[in-house]
Order: sequence, then C-alpha cells, then structure tokens
Amino acid sequence: MFRISMSKWLTLGGLAVLTSLAWAQTLRIGVVGPMAFVQGAHTWYGATLAAEEINRAGGIQVGDRRYRIELLRVDTNEMLSVTDAATAVERAITAQRVDFLVGGFRSEAVLAMTEVAADYKRIFIITGAGLDGILAGRVDRNYERFKYLFRVSPTRSSDLARTSLLLLGEVVQAVRQQLGIPRPKVAILAERAAWADPLVETATRLIAAPPPQGYGAEVAGTWRPSAVATDVTSELTAIQRAGAQVIYTVLSGPVGVPFGRDWGRLRIPAAPVGINVEAQQETWLKATDNLGNYVATLSSLAPGVAITPKTIPFITSFQARFKEFPIYTASGAYGALYVLADALNRAGTLDVEAVVKALEATDFVGPSGRIVFDKTHDVTWGPSFTTGLGVQWVGNRMQAFWPRNWRVGDKVISYAGVRPYQLPPWVVEAWRR
Amino acid sequence: MTGPLRVWSLPWIFLYLRHEVLALPGRSVALLFVLFLLVLPLFTQDPYWLRVLTLTAIFALYAASWDLLSGYTGQVSLGHAFFFGLSGYVSAILGRELGLPPWLTVPLGASLAALAGVFVGLPSLRVRGPYLSLVTLAFPIIALGLVFVFPKITGGELGLSGLPRLGQSRLQEYYIVVFTFLLSTLFLWKLGGSRIGLFLHAIREDEVAVRMVGVNTVRYKLLAFGASAFFAGLAGGLHAHFLRVVGPDSLSVFNSIQPIVWSVFGGLATIYGPVAGTFLLFPLLEFLRVVEEVRMLAFAFLILLVMRFLPQGVVRGVLDRLEETCPRCKVRNAFTRRRCRACGVELRLPEKEVVA
Amino acid sequence: MFAAILVNGLVLSGIYGMLALGFALTYGVARILNLAHTAFYMVAAYALFFFLGWTGFAGAALLGVLVVLLLALAAYGLLLEPLREHEATVLIVTIALALLLQEVVLLLFGGHFRSVPALLPGYVEVLGVRVAQQALLALGFAAAVLLAAWALLKGTRLGLGIRAAAQDQEAAELVGISLSRAGYWAVGLGALLAALAGLAVAPMATLEPHMWNPPLLVVLAAVVLGGLGSLPGALLGALVLAFAEVLVVNLVPGGAFLRTAVALFIMVLVLVARPEGLFGVGFAEER
Repeated sequence: MFRISMSKWLTLGGLAVLTSLAWAQTLRIGVVGPMAFVQGAHTWYGATLAAEEINRAGGIQVGDRRYRIELLRVDTNEMLSVTDAATAVERAITAQRVDFLVGGFRSEAVLAMTEVAADYKRIFIITGAGLDGILAGRVDRNYERFKYLFRVSPTRSSDLARTSLLLLGEVVQAVRQQLGIPRPKVAILAERAAWADPLVETATRLIAAPPPQGYGAEVAGTWRPSAVATDVTSELTAIQRAGAQVIYTVLSGPVGVPFGRDWGRLRIPAAPVGINVEAQQETWLKATDNLGNYVATLSSLAPGVAITPKTIPFITSFQARFKEFPIYTASGAYGALYVLADALNRAGTLDVEAVVKALEATDFVGPSGRIVFDKTHDVTWGPSFTTGLGVQWVGNRMQAFWPRNWRVGDKVISYAGVRPYQLPPWVVEAWRR
Repeated sequence: MTGPLRVWSLPWIFLYLRHEVLALPGRSVALLFVLFLLVLPLFTQDPYWLRVLTLTAIFALYAASWDLLSGYTGQVSLGHAFFFGLSGYVSAILGRELGLPPWLTVPLGASLAALAGVFVGLPSLRVRGPYLSLVTLAFPIIALGLVFVFPKITGGELGLSGLPRLGQSRLQEYYIVVFTFLLSTLFLWKLGGSRIGLFLHAIREDEVAVRMVGVNTVRYKLLAFGASAFFAGLAGGLHAHFLRVVGPDSLSVFNSIQPIVWSVFGGLATIYGPVAGTFLLFPLLEFLRVVEEVRMLAFAFLILLVMRFLPQGVVRGVLDRLEETCPRCKVRNAFTRRRCRACGVELRLPEKEVVA
Repeated sequence: MFAAILVNGLVLSGIYGMLALGFALTYGVARILNLAHTAFYMVAAYALFFFLGWTGFAGAALLGVLVVLLLALAAYGLLLEPLREHEATVLIVTIALALLLQEVVLLLFGGHFRSVPALLPGYVEVLGVRVAQQALLALGFAAAVLLAAWALLKGTRLGLGIRAAAQDQEAAELVGISLSRAGYWAVGLGALLAALAGLAVAPMATLEPHMWNPPLLVVLAAVVLGGLGSLPGALLGALVLAFAEVLVVNLVPGGAFLRTAVALFIMVLVLVARPEGLFGVGFAEER
C-alpha cells in the first residue's frame, strides 16, 4: 500500500506541478464605450479580436507568469449621460475589478471617465475620443495624477485638422487643374461644437493665404449647423447661391448623414471634403439613400489599402468574424490591446508605475499606423507614424485617395491601393467653361 | 416623571417615538430610512455604493424641490433643469474666476438659481396651466443655446471640468451630501406642512377662491418658485462638484423630466413621495446594468405598470393599504389597530348582526 | 434668399402642421398632452422602413399606419383612459411610453441611421431654389391630408362632436356626446395624423431612435403658441415656427444650431402678450 501511495503521490504531485504551470491567471480588461452605437460596438469587436489572438498565442508573458486576457464589456451610455458613463467606469473598477481600461468615445464623457480612472490609478487607453484637452493640459501639467492615461486613436483633434486640411488642399488643387478655376471658392460647413472651432479658424486662414503657405483660394462663407441637425437643405442652398466649388466639412455628429443625402439629392455643385465621421462607416450609402457618392472624408482604414503590413490581415479577420468593415475605434482597440500586452511584457511586472513607464516607451506597428507616444501620452502624428487616410466614396465603394504623392521634406509618400481623387460629375459639368 | 417634560429630554424622545413615529408603518419606515443613510458607512464603504447613494440623495433633493413647485402649488414645471444646470455652471465659474471653495460657491449658485426661479415665475402670473408648463420648458433650452453661444465662458458642449471636490474623501462627500439632503428635505417637509404649504395646496386647487379670501397669491406663487429653485440649485451645485464636471447635459430636457418621473412615481404633493420615488428608481436603474441592453426598456415598462395600477404614486398607494384615517378625529392609524389611538373610536364598523 | 426662405419654410410648415394638428386633437378632446405623439411618428417611419422589405410603398404605408393606430388605441384604452383624472400621471405615462418605443426601436433596428428610398428622386428648381422633388411631394401630401382633416372636422357629425368636445367638455356631455368615444376617435385621428406625417417625412429624413425629440419640442411650442384646444391655432403656430427656423438658418448661418431655442423664445414672447395663445380657448371655467 505504501508503494501504491508513493506512486499516487508522485503522480498527484506531478499533476499539481503541471497544472500550476498551465493554469493561467487572468487579466481583466474593461472595454468601455456606448455599446448600442457602432463606435462602441466596434471598440468591443476590435478588442475581442485582439484578445482572442493573444490568448490563442498563449497569453501575455509578464515576468515568469502567463496571463490570459478576460474582457469585460462596459456600456457607458455616454451619448446620453456623462454621469452614467462616469458611474459605469467606477463600477467597472470597484465592483467588476478591472485591471485596465480601454475605449471611450464621446469627449465630454471621456473627460469625466478619465477623472475616475485617475482617482483609482488605473491605466486607461483611449481609442475613440479626439479632444486635445483629454491629455494636453493634464498629463503635462499634472503628471502624477494623469500619467495613467494614453491615447492610441484617433490622432488628436488638432492633428485630425492637419490631415483634413491636406485633403482640402488636394481637392482645391483638383478644382484648379480640372476646372481651370485659378481661385476656387471654399464654403466651410462645420458643426456647432467646441472641437470644430479651431479647425474653422485654421481653415479660414489657410484657404485665403497665398501659396506655398496657403491654398490661394477664397472662403465663400461659414455655416454652423447643430451636430444633431436632421436637415441642412437651407445651408446647402445658401452654399450653392454663394458660388462655392468646394465644401470643407467638419462634421462628427449625426448631421453628416443628412448632409450627404441632401447634398446628393440636390446635386449641389460643390465637392465636399474634410471630416465627416458618418461617411467613414460602411453603412453610409444605405443611410444616405445611395446619394452619398463622391463625398470625401478623413478616415483610418480603407478597403484594400495597406498602411502597414498588419492592415489587410486585420481587416480580413475582422470582416470574417464580425461581417462589418471596421471603423477607427476597432483598429484603435485592437492596437490598444497589443500595445498593452507589449508593455506588460517589457515591464515584467503588473506594478502600475512600471507599466506606465513601459507604455511610454512604446513603438508598435498596428493596423492603422505606427504608434509612438509623445510627451503627453498622445499618439504621434507624422508620415512615418500615424496620419490617417483620405477616402472617397466612388461607385458605391470606399476608396482611398490620400496619401498619394504626398511630399514631406524630401520624401514622397504613397500607399499601395490609393487611387486619384474624383470630382463629382455634376460639379465638373456645372463649372467647366 | 417628576418635573416638566422638556422637548429635548430623553423620556420625551422615547414617548414621541413610541406614540407618534413607531405607531405608524409609514413613519417607522421613514425613521429606518434616515438611520440607514446615516449608519450605512459602518457596514460598507464600497465606493461604488457610496457613489450611487450620494447621487440618489442629490437627485432626491432635486425631485423634492420640483414637488414643492409643481405638486403643491400646481405650477407644473417642465424645465426644472434650468435651475439645476444654472446653479452648477455658476458654482463652477465662480470657483474658477474667484477661486472660492465649493462650500461658498454652491450656496451662491443656489441663491442665483432662486433669483432665476422668481424670474421664471413672473410669466406664471399671466399664464396658467399647460401654457405655464411650456413656458418653463423654454428656459433651459434657451439657456442651452446661450451655453453654445459663449463657449469661452461655459466650455461649450464640453462643459467645465476639473472642478474642486466637495470633501477630502468619498466618505466625507457622502456625509456632506446626505446631511444637506436630510436638512433640506426636513425644511421642505416643514414648509409643506406649514401655513404657507396650506396656501400652496389651496392655490393649486382653486386660485380664484384663495384670492377672494384676500390672500396675496402672487407672493406665494413666487415664493414657491424661488424656494423650489433654490433647492434644485443646491442639488445642481452638489452634483457638479461631486462629478467634478458640469456640462450641457445638466440643462437637457431629459434632466427636466427625471424629477417629474420620480415625483409622480412616488406621489405628488408630499415631500416623502419624490424622495421615495428617487430612492426606488435611481438605484434600480443602476441595478439594471446587469441587463444592459434592455435597461431603459425595463425601466420604462416598470414605470408604465406601476403608474397604471398606483396612479397616486407608489408611496400613497402603499400607505393607503397600510394606514387608515380615523373617521372622527382624522388621525392616521396603522391598519392593525381596531380603535383609534387618539380618540378611541372604532376604526371599522362591526359586522351587522342578523336579527332573525 | 427670399425664395429659399419661402420654399423651405412652406415645406417645413407642412410637416409640422400635420404633427401639430394631431397633437392638438389629442389634447383638445382627450385632454392628454401626449408626449409620445412624435414617438408615434417615429414608429410609423420605422414601420414603413421595415415593411418596405416585404411589399411596395403603398402596402408598407398602409401597414405602417395600421401598426401606429393599433398602438395608439391600445395605449389609450389600457393606460391612459383609466388614468384620466390624474393629469400628472398621464404625463408621465406618455413620457414612459415614448421612452419604451424608443428603446424597442433601438433594440430592433439598432442605433444606425436608416433611410427609406425616396418615391421621387431628384430635384427641381423653384424660383431659383433647388428643392428635392420628394419634399414637394411631402408638401402636397400634407396639404391634402390637412384638407381632408378639415373636411372631416367641419363637414361630418363626427367632426362636429370632436370639435364640440374640444371646445367645452361639460357642455358637450350635456348635449349627449359620449366623451369616451370622442376620446377614442380623437386619439385615433391624432395618431393617424402623426403616422401620415411619419410616412411623408421618412423618405426625406434619417431614421434614428432619437428622431422624436426635436419635433416634439417644436410641436409643443406650436400648439401652445396657437392656443391649446384650437385646431386652426395649431396650424398657425406650426407655420410661424417653421418660418422662424428657416429664417434663423438663412439669416444667421453661424447660429443655425439655435433653431429650437429661437422657436421656444418666440413662443414665450407670444404667451406673455397673449396668455392663452393666439386663438386659445380659456379653460378657466372647467373644474
């Protein structure tokens, strides 16, 4: 009996050792966002895709332990209530005990949510809100409190402005060359929101300034509808009367859809370009009753365009798994999980201070670009970092038109799969002399 | 007992509790509720629960303030968020421009809200009923427009953030809010039960008759507006400093509708109604997070059901089943009693004997 | 610019007019401030969207109207009529109903924006202003519906009964008009008008679960402006506010976001001058 017990003990002991090695601990990551809306849903999808990939590959190696990722879905209801969002985050931290937070979309809600995260010293990687002030003025002025906050997407608003103005330049150039108009007129249509104000100011200066600093064009007027307006026909008819050939759009709210639909229906002879978040989604054409063709906007991803070697595989697996084309919050959350895993790996410990230091040293190539954090923990903008794409809807499909022969210093940047910008045919017809 | 009974003496307190408070289920529950709020932190200091209760107390005060105006006086306000949000913004701006601490800026904000209340009450002197309600609706929307027109001062759609805290710790904030809530509610309760409250009830029922008796209804209506706005402002200021953020959400139509839902759910023209309504509904909404997608749906459905069957409000409905009024002296008695506790009269008529 | 204001203003008045008339009917007769009125309008638009997947426009429209009618009558019969005396409770119930409908739509269709294909694509130039053909169709439809409603209310016994109940409930009861039945008819007609407005606007608007919010405020303001209980008042109020909105957008392009605020401000001004609205019926004598 003793001999049998001995072998039994040995096997049990052996099994115990093996199981303790195989038994992975879990890291709880809260994915926060407005889950009833596409922006939140895609944050969840992107994070899920990354978590599954990482777990399949064995999890995250931190020091001498392996961790698998457990994702928690936190619906913040931030579109309706900032209070609700902050409470949801607090609940996620205290009751649901998440170790890290990823997500956020509406800037005013993210301001409140990050206060909560900072109170509890939880790392929060922002994947959807662009306001500069979420990080600028906080991480630099009060580093000790806010160092737990990072942003991987979108690029901050002022950088979004830079890209959108480059897109505007492309279109102004197209009007100049193809329509033979030396001094095109540009109408500015920006939603009434604080984030849009600096863009309107910068655009107004840039449009009128002579080249090479500016575009040597003319501002036909500035219209500011509400971000939730459902009808912009009055603004569009006024823009048409003002004789504009280009419309610079600064729209992130639902108003983007009525804009596209009314513009297409009335065939306003002006080419829209700029920021139109609604037009970044694959449901754009259905939402605009198939009238949204030729609308151009800044976006993170476009079908068939390989920004980095990871772009196309990401898009393909996302579409295979979720049957939808990913928007920027998806690629953002995907990148965020990998960035976090990489930082944990390098830090070798779960101690939050060490992880913050490791995150600051991130240099990661994700599906929408190369992620390197600057002094305020914001993603760096630039030709070899992350800039976004200019996309346009042509023939019922989204295609990218920028960067194409983009000159920066002595470099010329073009991504594979980029096609030239096309002026809407009725604009050409209306203006060609 | 020898010597005169003083109100603050222990025997008096015991007698009061036994004969006035514990004799009725409704009042016993109220006592338990107050005790619960005060001693909860001894049992749990989970920051999430403290947060939920703090917010509930703030919103209960907001709802009670609405009830004073709309339930008692009958001037149904559809735009109460105006006072809530105005006070929050004022408190934030004063704090930012003058560097004053919250314990100064919140009452200042509430006082300004009280002035605003009187201002909003002025049209009420000319318009009545549903017209008045819609005029009150206009104010927060116009204020919202102004918020967007002056984004430099108000922060536009982002609001003002990084506001100073109410207290050093979550626990301290909880007690500050709970004490303010209890004291304010007590004040409102006393006001409602006083002669002024009587006039307010009367104005709701028949203003013409009240004026015929020689009462200056203008004064009382404006008083109701001002007092109601003050407490709504107090709630708004506390809310802003608790969240450390004030934004256009605080002026939204949804925020105006919240106190209405809670008050009607609990029972109008009582102060305990809105308080009960808020303490039932707000934590419920939090609790429903476990079924996130159908949260609002379940909430709306619940309101429909309860309102259908208890249209007087939950508290009234429940109390009507648990308490009875003595037919002679009108004192409330628990339903378990057969005789009135004050005058000894039989509460229910005995079964008639069948005489063959 | 004048032409643009005129044309856009007229189109908007048609839509708001249909909504305001339905709302005024429900209030005038059943004394219910039905805050779910525009939610019915939303349900009709979504029902049209849904049924268009099965049948053509006419069939889908009919089914949409039926759905809304059933919903409204059921809500009235089960929830609102039993609670007639408790005005505040009725208000909450209509709010809860609107929220419920919003959540159901959100669950069934998601938060994405949907659109219904236009019956008449393209645009025409009217007085130098480009107007979508669908908008003109909606305007024509609104005019036809309003005329039909007018004929019903002025020319039939049913209409007479409804108008009587709207003017003075006690007197109407005295002459033998069943207030309960009049209530059902008014709620039904009100919902029908809301549904028709939804059908007319769906091909031009974007469908989303919160689309009932902005029109509700305008409709409330319009009905109050015109005077509660007055049906022509509601139409006039809708006209005034529609033009106010269009004027703001055209004259102050940077202030386009202030449309609703301006509309309500105008309402306040009118009420201070005329406390019962433009054609209001005083309810002081009702107990």
